[in-house]
Amino acid sequence: MAPTLVDAALGALVAAALLGPAFDRRSVAVVVAAAVVPDLDAVASLAVPGATNALGHTLLIPLAAGVVLYWDTAVRASSRLRARAGWRGVRVAWVALASFVVAGIGSDLFAGAGANLLYPLQDAYYVVDGRFVFSTQEGVVQTFVAAGGEGPGILPFESPGTTATYPIETWVNPDGRPGISIEVDREAHLVRSGWQLVVVAVAAATLGVRTLVGARIDEAIGVVETDEGTEVDR
Amino acid sequence: MPSTVVHAGFALLLAAGLLGDDYDRRALAVLLVAVVLPEVDSFLGPIMSGAHRTVGHTLVVPAVVALALYYDTRVRERSAVRARIADRWVAVAWVVLFVHVFAHVALDWTHLDGVNLLWPLRDQFFALDGELFVSTADGVVQTFVDVRVDPKTGTRQIDPGGTGTTETVHIDNPVEPRDPEAEIEEPVDRRFPVANAGWRLYLIGLGLFALVARRVQGDGPEAER
Repeated sequence: MAPTLVDAALGALVAAALLGPAFDRRSVAVVVAAAVVPDLDAVASLAVPGATNALGHTLLIPLAAGVVLYWDTAVRASSRLRARAGWRGVRVAWVALASFVVAGIGSDLFAGAGANLLYPLQDAYYVVDGRFVFSTQEGVVQTFVAAGGEGPGILPFESPGTTATYPIETWVNPDGRPGISIEVDREAHLVRSGWQLVVVAVAAATLGVRTLVGARIDEAIGVVETDEGTEVDR
Repeated sequence: MPSTVVHAGFALLLAAGLLGDDYDRRALAVLLVAVVLPEVDSFLGPIMSGAHRTVGHTLVVPAVVALALYYDTRVRERSAVRARIADRWVAVAWVVLFVHVFAHVALDWTHLDGVNLLWPLRDQFFALDGELFVSTADGVVQTFVDVRVDPKTGTRQIDPGGTGTTETVHIDNPVEPRDPEAEIEEPVDRRFPVANAGWRLYLIGLGLFALVARRVQGDGPEAER
């Protein structure tokens, strides 16, 4: 998997970009958590064979969540979520869902070991990697989408295998197979390459800038943060 | 270079997070111009050796601009910039600087022979490449900066990924597709990459996603009622 720290950083960038007026420490924490949740399937892989990047990286979970969220907030006469958590709750829920898909699953699909997008309907990992270049000698070169290629998957992307043939190594489960082994060397990656370091740095800088600027605006308009939000201003 | 499209995609994502109330079409247009502009140093290549990733990609320029902007808008009694442009464009200028440093220079720093970060103060290309992990056997390991201790003298050598100078480094680009000093008997192939790896396509996708999502979502609690 792409390192969880990188997923969290991408989630933070999505949070900053999309939360709008709902941006605060708690909502950012929720959105970042949503980006990290898919990686928990590595823990499940200790019991379920091949769960890494499959159980939490299937698009079926966010699809179902999206349908429920849409039904509740847009189709139903009165939304339960909006009644309980207001406009803010609805916004945070949608952005968290986006973060789950884009930062949690997307990073592994494009820049990690692959994601089992249709698991358990169809068991195949997908990796979108390749090149897209205009060349004066070769014309358009495009190797991201490979229609009709061999491999177990039905989606037109390169597939490195299935849960049975393609065990993914993580620090939680170094051999990718069920069972806990104690006497093995574990490596937990924080960043795997230069660009991932840049993403982590830029996410930290963005959150820092947003917090500073937000504090200055609050100061200017006289908002005082209290622990009890219900207290009446006297 | 990671292509300009990749820089633009990452820039859109960051801009959505930083522009706040200034997020609109005009601000994004200015931002995209600022993303493309540094690549013009490719055209200096035929005149100056190693110009690409040097002239437009040094950190000295954004540092000087940031200092000047800070001095003018905060320290001086009467700001020449604020007298000319509205306050919101001062805010946009800060975002442009941030995006230039992080979405453009920093990404190029991780690619091929990197960027000439401190030119013209110092002529030295730096490449940022490596990994960072915690291992049960070796503890915390990072390979971005190479630190070597000479066992005999005990002096420490730190190599933050230096790759050469404008004399020795040439970074291929569509204007100069190969090192002018290399002699190859092949037809010239000018390549205009959109994305040369999955993660670059991913950054483009992230930017487009942020752009579309910002259009689709409502403005705020008042607009929904």
